[in-house]
Amino acid sequence: MIQAIGKVFIFLLILVGLFLGIGRAITNMTGGEKKAAGVVTVSPEGGETIFWGKGRCWTCHSMGDRGSAVRCPNLGVYGEKFPLPEGQRAAERAKEREKQTGLPYTRTDYLVESIGNPSAYLVDGYKNEMAIVYAPPISLTPDEIKAVISYLQSQGGEVDIEAINNPTEISKKYWDKIHAASAAGGGDPGHGEEVFQAACLSCHALKGEGGNVGPDLSNVGTKGLKYISEAILQPSTTFTPGYETFVVIDKGGRKYVGIKTKEDASGVELILGNGEAATIARGDIKEISQDKNKSIMPEELTEALTVKDYQDVLAFMLMQKGKK
Amino acid sequence: MIKFCKRFLGISSMGILLILLMAVPALALEANEYRQFFGLDSRRLVWFIAQMHLYFGAFVLGVPLFAVIIEIVGWRNRDKKFDKLAYEFTSLLSVAYAATAALGGLMAFVLFTLYPTFMGYMAGIFKDVMILYALLFFGETFSLYLYYYGWESLKGGFSFDRRFQLVMKGIGGIILLAGLLFLFGAWGPHMRGDTRAFITFLYMLPFGAGLFLIKDRKSFHIFVGILLNIFGIAIVHMANSWVGFMMGPTGVTEKGDFIGTTWQAFDNHLSTPIAIHRMLGNLAFGGLIAGAYAAVKFIGSRTDEDRAHYDWMGYISNFIAIAGLIPIPFAGYYLGREVYSTSAVMGNNMMGGDFSWTFIMQAMLVGALFLISNYYLWSGMTRIPGAERYYGYIKFMLAIIVVSFAIWLTPHNLPLTGEEVAGMGGSQYHPTLKFFGLMPAKNAVVNLMILSTFFSFLLYRRGNKGERVPISKQGKMPRIIIPIAGFVAIGIIGHYAYFLLTADPKILDLSLDKAVYFRTVGWLLTLQCLSAAITVILSLKDRGIFAQGLYMTTTALSVTPVLGVYGFIVMEKASPFLRNVAVSQFLQLIACIVLVSTIDSFLFKGAKEIGTLKWGKMTVTSQYALLVLAIFITLNMGLMGFIRSGLRSDWHIFGVMRDTSEGAYTPSNYTMTEMVGLATVVFFVAVAFMFWLGAIAKSKAKVASEEVKEELNDTGDR
Repeated sequence: MIQAIGKVFIFLLILVGLFLGIGRAITNMTGGEKKAAGVVTVSPEGGETIFWGKGRCWTCHSMGDRGSAVRCPNLGVYGEKFPLPEGQRAAERAKEREKQTGLPYTRTDYLVESIGNPSAYLVDGYKNEMAIVYAPPISLTPDEIKAVISYLQSQGGEVDIEAINNPTEISKKYWDKIHAASAAGGGDPGHGEEVFQAACLSCHALKGEGGNVGPDLSNVGTKGLKYISEAILQPSTTFTPGYETFVVIDKGGRKYVGIKTKEDASGVELILGNGEAATIARGDIKEISQDKNKSIMPEELTEALTVKDYQDVLAFMLMQKGKK
Repeated sequence: MIKFCKRFLGISSMGILLILLMAVPALALEANEYRQFFGLDSRRLVWFIAQMHLYFGAFVLGVPLFAVIIEIVGWRNRDKKFDKLAYEFTSLLSVAYAATAALGGLMAFVLFTLYPTFMGYMAGIFKDVMILYALLFFGETFSLYLYYYGWESLKGGFSFDRRFQLVMKGIGGIILLAGLLFLFGAWGPHMRGDTRAFITFLYMLPFGAGLFLIKDRKSFHIFVGILLNIFGIAIVHMANSWVGFMMGPTGVTEKGDFIGTTWQAFDNHLSTPIAIHRMLGNLAFGGLIAGAYAAVKFIGSRTDEDRAHYDWMGYISNFIAIAGLIPIPFAGYYLGREVYSTSAVMGNNMMGGDFSWTFIMQAMLVGALFLISNYYLWSGMTRIPGAERYYGYIKFMLAIIVVSFAIWLTPHNLPLTGEEVAGMGGSQYHPTLKFFGLMPAKNAVVNLMILSTFFSFLLYRRGNKGERVPISKQGKMPRIIIPIAGFVAIGIIGHYAYFLLTADPKILDLSLDKAVYFRTVGWLLTLQCLSAAITVILSLKDRGIFAQGLYMTTTALSVTPVLGVYGFIVMEKASPFLRNVAVSQFLQLIACIVLVSTIDSFLFKGAKEIGTLKWGKMTVTSQYALLVLAIFITLNMGLMGFIRSGLRSDWHIFGVMRDTSEGAYTPSNYTMTEMVGLATVVFFVAVAFMFWLGAIAKSKAKVASEEVKEELNDTGDR
């Protein structure tokens, strides 16, 4: 039996050796460890590195004969379906987009839009499945995205760094999203808006919509990342004037906690945490006080909020800079 | 056994305490802390220990799955040979179970001490699941203890009291009914459909059926075996919920409310798809490791009796492994689809990104598994008198499998030098081979490879069968079961045909003119339904062999040349629909296997045997084939684990918690082969050592029992 086991182990080592040999040969052919290196120079060369590296664009797009992905449109010249490289194709697509929307699209606008909002104008025959590259897990920075756009422009077209750095009104809204996402550590403001509508809008107003229990957040983006982050995670440390928490106890012992909206000789009016208004007649009030250490905003939000939702909401909040 | 139970319980208790102490609220945004153990690379250390734990775990959880089935077969047919075999399989578990528990404890300690922030975050979310997980090990330990050590004492004996049997049947019946109601969503929390099916078919129905079976000691022993499996499956399911969460974290309702309940975290997008894939993998892995044990015993056997026994054991092990291997590509496809649905970035990285070449290696290993399994079956036909009639088919099947294998592992393009590109006319793609590297070709050949393996099984099964009993003379049973199998097959294909014939292309962001691609495949599936109906009718009219041939031929034609070629058209004109073409191919294959197997079971029922199987008359080469299978599945399991884990790239929890350590990169394929190769060698050395320990214990027990017998005889003589 020992002899049989010995033979079997020699056999095992041979097979594992073969496995190692194949692994080594493939690694020699395809390259070694893949670190996600980022580049910050806005140039076609920088964009090429991002396209074939950290940006993972190559996992869906090929560039002519380079790459093997077929899931999304080939961005080079490839067969009858793609007779123009992306640098020239962008100009054609911009014209189509202009016709469709009536807005003066440039080829740079088209490229910025296809990254900022990939579902805006799909190539026929392809699914709306492009990742938001400025949100996790890819999280490209604005400069990295600019570099990729310049690389795409260089495919048969003229590189226009000036147009990339000085966006038109069409591109600007996408850059706002991208910058907000980047500032928030890579959050996706699109999803952040959904989260905000579901969880925050009942108390906070935004561009004329929503509740009035908490402050209007239409301009909160100007206050910066640190302020917004603290306001969500530790609401009791930052108070917006006029939104202090008041506690009223009536003669029956009932306690009301909310934001004081009115106080006169007849009584006090509070907006409670659930958004309902409560009026307590002056004669019924036993005690009224301001709680300087407590915000009406729920502290437990941080326990229910996933980290991704938090980052997404943060990105969305950073975009709120007072525009209606 | 008691010692290892104590050791295991000790480790588990410490684990629970550690988890409780380290649990923090679910929001953990602080910087990650990383530590090292004596300067070792933490990532490689965790990788190696986790891999070893998974190998032992897969074996320990895989073996009871088929040990119980074999025991049931022996019990129903009153065949002691099967009972003995089931016991022999179970005896392999005892030492391996202790090693699994020890490695699990080691892994938990290593993770908690070297990755404290990450594990604190995970424990904060999964604290309830983790404690339940540890408690389930008590159930697993005690049921294994009772199952293995109670084998002899729970054998045969008198029937239980009739009232007791009735109570058990009543409870079993209620659980079965509750399971069915649960399956159709009558009760239970909101959950994914696959989780609901998983809980029904792997927890509730077996538990209810087990209770329903209880009537004597042996059936109670089988119930304990079923319980053992339920605990094991639940353990796998829970552990997979953690890795599923790491790949696709969930915690919000579909409305976007911040709820983040434990259940939602548990029922994430990937926990059940991974669990399904792992269950089948464990079954195949357990079968092949047991097969390797039988092969080594066969090679070292000195008597014909031993050779016959271990030949038979090897055959059963291989049979079980193939039963697990055949559906694995479907489960893998489903898992891949769910990974893609969870994150397109992760999905694309899997097949077309960093892991595309790892998948080529995986294709080599899986293709080799199919090829060698077939070789073992064909070798086995030499011990079957009468099987010579089918030797002629082997060369065709070999050709089909080899060609399919070659196409399956052909890459789409190769990293070439400038000169090489110039030599191919300026293209990275070979003019012909580039087509073999695309998904339509790969989907076509993988189906053909599975179908060929299934055909090998059919030939093996009918090897020594002579004159058959016509189905029309077998009473009512085939007239009930075959049409039911026909309905199941038609249901599998028909529901998808209906979907394709009525679906709006907009669901895939395609324009209305692309509906033609949906409808074409829908009509093809409708024709396959017709073929299934004709197959059923012909079988009932005693034309079973022809019916099987007809249905397998239409299936092979439909899934390989027709949809294979059509897939290229779809890829060109309506690329997103290609995934649905692949689903239609898989469904046709499943339907074919269900219907043809059912017909086959009646076709050769009661058939005269041409001769007796000559167990033990196998070549030594065929035993090495069993060993290769065991080694390849072990390597493949490690490789697939690397892909699954590596898909997260530089994230501990995908999109939520970034890996900021030095190890935040995707290792090369060579590094993977080093780590997996090392783990494989250590695993096989450890398994051999454990089997040797088990053999020592057995021989000591045998000597002790003989000594006791001698003493008793001596006392009797005096």
